[in-house]
Amino acid sequence: MPDWKTLIRARVAPLAGLDAARETDILDELAQHVAEDYGELVASGLTESEATERALAPLDNPSHVAAEIARADRPRVAAPIPPSEQSNLLVDLGRDVRYAARLLWRTPAFTAVALITLALGIGANSAIFSVLNAVLLRPLPYTFPERLVMIGDRGPDGAAGNVGYTTFLDWRDRSHSFEEMAVVRSWTPTLAANGEPERINGMRVSANFFHTLGVRPALGRDFRIDEDTPASWKMVILSDGLWRRQFNADSSAIGRVISMNDQQFIIIGVMPASFEPLISERFYRRAEMWALVGYDRSQPSACRSCQHLKAIGRIKAGVSLDNAIRDIEGVQTQLRREFPGDYSRDLMTAIPIAQVLTGDVRPALWVLMGAVGFVLLIACANLANLMLARLARREHDLALRAALGASRSRLVRQLLVESALIAVGSAVLGIGLGAIAVPALVRMAPATMSRMVNATLDWRVLGFSEAPAVATAIIFGLVPAIRASRINLQGSLHGDTRKTAHAPTSLARRVLVAADVALAVVLLVGAGLMIKSVGRLLEVHPGFDPDHVLTMQVSMVGQAYRMDEAVAMKTDAILAKLRALPGVEAVATAGQIPLGGNGDTWGFHVEHRTWGPEDPSVERYSVTPDYFSVMRIPLRRGRLITDADRSGVDRIMVLGERAAQRIWPKEDPIGQRVKIGGFEGPWYTIVGIVGDVHHQALSAATTLQMYTSQAQLTDSFLTIVIRAAGDPSALASEARRAIWSVASDVPVYEVAPLESLVAKSVGPRRFMMVLLDLFAAVALLMTAVGVYGVIACSVAERTREIGIRAALGASSIDIVRLVVGGGLAVVGGGLAAGVVAALGVTRYLEGSLYNVSATDPSTFAGVAIALLVVALTAQSVPVIRAIRVDPTVALRDE
Amino acid sequence: MSHDRELRKGSAEVLILSLLDERDRHGYELAKLIDQRSDGALKFHVASLYPTLYRLERRGLIQGRWVEKSGQRRKRFYRLTAEGQKMLTSQRRSWSTFFAALNRVARIRHA
Repeated sequence: MPDWKTLIRARVAPLAGLDAARETDILDELAQHVAEDYGELVASGLTESEATERALAPLDNPSHVAAEIARADRPRVAAPIPPSEQSNLLVDLGRDVRYAARLLWRTPAFTAVALITLALGIGANSAIFSVLNAVLLRPLPYTFPERLVMIGDRGPDGAAGNVGYTTFLDWRDRSHSFEEMAVVRSWTPTLAANGEPERINGMRVSANFFHTLGVRPALGRDFRIDEDTPASWKMVILSDGLWRRQFNADSSAIGRVISMNDQQFIIIGVMPASFEPLISERFYRRAEMWALVGYDRSQPSACRSCQHLKAIGRIKAGVSLDNAIRDIEGVQTQLRREFPGDYSRDLMTAIPIAQVLTGDVRPALWVLMGAVGFVLLIACANLANLMLARLARREHDLALRAALGASRSRLVRQLLVESALIAVGSAVLGIGLGAIAVPALVRMAPATMSRMVNATLDWRVLGFSEAPAVATAIIFGLVPAIRASRINLQGSLHGDTRKTAHAPTSLARRVLVAADVALAVVLLVGAGLMIKSVGRLLEVHPGFDPDHVLTMQVSMVGQAYRMDEAVAMKTDAILAKLRALPGVEAVATAGQIPLGGNGDTWGFHVEHRTWGPEDPSVERYSVTPDYFSVMRIPLRRGRLITDADRSGVDRIMVLGERAAQRIWPKEDPIGQRVKIGGFEGPWYTIVGIVGDVHHQALSAATTLQMYTSQAQLTDSFLTIVIRAAGDPSALASEARRAIWSVASDVPVYEVAPLESLVAKSVGPRRFMMVLLDLFAAVALLMTAVGVYGVIACSVAERTREIGIRAALGASSIDIVRLVVGGGLAVVGGGLAAGVVAALGVTRYLEGSLYNVSATDPSTFAGVAIALLVVALTAQSVPVIRAIRVDPTVALRDE
Repeated sequence: MSHDRELRKGSAEVLILSLLDERDRHGYELAKLIDQRSDGALKFHVASLYPTLYRLERRGLIQGRWVEKSGQRRKRFYRLTAEGQKMLTSQRRSWSTFFAALNRVARIRHA
């Protein structure tokens, strides 16, 4: 027996205005009636098909039947409204919301795609914006942070250089544009408060440092200017974290004397928990303790060219940045004239502190923000498309409702309520996605984005990312609504909707899909360039072999290590212990290691040349003999450092290749003598040349490098490098115990496999790459959905045309060409527009790219091909449907 | 609306109400009974019967309820309400008057 309900539903489909349950009742009842008729007709001898036709004959004028039923039944839907409630907007709205919810529920595919599309857009946006907000937009936690600047001579990268103490005093005394000027340097004392020695990351600061920032201790007091002298500087202010960890948040810690590096310090204050030590974090490590610089002009380390301090200034209110720079440049010009040997010719600069602190990540974050903006745009285009497609299917229904007396405003309101429901639903889902994504992003974040830990979904983030999304949903809901109110009722009711009524809608939808494709091209090109970049970066040989190497830092400071010999002896003892551990192949120490985040460049003065401030600066590594074998740094010429190069004998040096070429382009460097640091020190003879290492980053060019013997130039802050036979991390705790067994007063910190330092160097790019990939994948998916939607709708709308063509003898290939051709035109247009847009946009990515051009042709081509494949795949289902169109069915459908 | 349609609509209502006065019936049964008892002169099909039923129901003259029996399609039975009863009485009276008048004027006899 035929499925009467379906047959009847097809005839009286637009029982619009009736609620779902009522509609079901009516269909049931009609089906029951028709079924009984059919049974009798068959019993009377008709064939089944004749009986079917006869039983359904009364329903041949479907819109009339539907209208009749609807009219008879109408009051059920819009029950007479009591006068008192007639103007009650809320009641009406409630009814509209319920009706819209029911409609959405009954089209689960549309609803799900619309919700997910927009929710992904909103979620990605709110997550990235919350990061952007935390890192870039939220003002720095200092008083009037916009007036804080970093002052120094302008380096080749535009950054402000370091300053010597005496120079700083002259700047402070002779300039007029600054309210305050302070200096800082790094400081890493060893605190032995509770058993194990702990190395503390700290800063030495001038007395007015906190005052300059506009912050003050929460407990105790700030430093006083008169305390900042070589005799009286030994007092510290603690961070809230350190105070809680080492002193159990005991307020009586104030005034307590603590011992660090065999010196006594008095605790005078504790900073509030909200204080963010961003300057230390940017240049050194996140500080937990502050002591005074304690210099005066007479000290050797206070010299004009001893540039190891960083200067921070607070510009006076009303003074412009340019004027402040001019002012300090004036002072520096005087100093250059007065002390010609001490200063280079570099110009001065003052850089707003916000730029100093976030400069590295700023472009990356804006690029990501742009990317999620694109994702949101694609989501909105897709949503608009879905709504237009839905409208096309519902035009008949809307026309009928209008014929039954629904006013235009009522119809528009109904459609608006629908889009508002979708908007609100996706907003809720989007917030959920954002709430999951933000902590994940924070975990993934590279160290340079430390302010990201503050990233949360606050009202500002939500306001920013939700408002446009919701607005878009409503606007795109409004367009169909307005179109709906202009529907040609006669045409729609007569069922000729399949001819020309949709031309504008269909054009709009094609344009939207083309926009989808174009936006996806831009995102995919960005992601492709980043993938290539990170790939190229990972291919860069760091100059050493990071596999199977464990690194750990130790510091030997204090009374016991005053003499270099003590450090050397203790170092030997530690190395011997470590070498004896099972699984250890070789051990060495170095004053610093590449990619370790340190920098230790010394002036380099060649014998028989004129010395001056323009002499080269060379990265210095003080190493023990096995360092080269542990790191697998290759010897190019001459010899390496050996055990024979100990104190007391002639000092030797091994040079990096680049330094050798740069400093002796035409001569043989081996055998040459140099002084390093000041002009007074001992001579070093160059004995060998080794391969260069990437010191600062894989992406940065190699620096000039030299290696001295730890026994001849002894460092107290050492990095131990251990080459292990197996997993280096497995050695960590044993190695630490081994060190403490011979040196219980030596703190061990920053224990990490060398590989992780290499990975960290790629971190920010990898972070960007992962996110761009994610957004590009979402964009690709959404584009596929968009292309599918448009082609599927076009096939549905053209079923009759396809049927006629098939009836007139068109082959399957002709039909495929018809359908795919239309789709390809849309995709091709989008691709072309996308490539043009990407050419314009990817240059913003340039700073994050490595060894890849922002217009890399192979990336562009790859993206175009990928999108074409996706578009063709998305079309395959509707194309198959088109081939299967049965001409007789298609034509009878009219 | 033409007189003919008005007439048919009015007659449809009295036909349905009087059939339901006997006992509760479902739509198909109503259509069948009208067909049989009028010897095929009056026919209601699905597209005309149900709008009438819904209109009567809306006006509170009849009331439908679903009755389900195992193994069978559920059917909607209609019964006459008190209101419907009153309406039927008054319609019978006016139809009676109407036919009497017709008979007197146009010599149309009614049984």
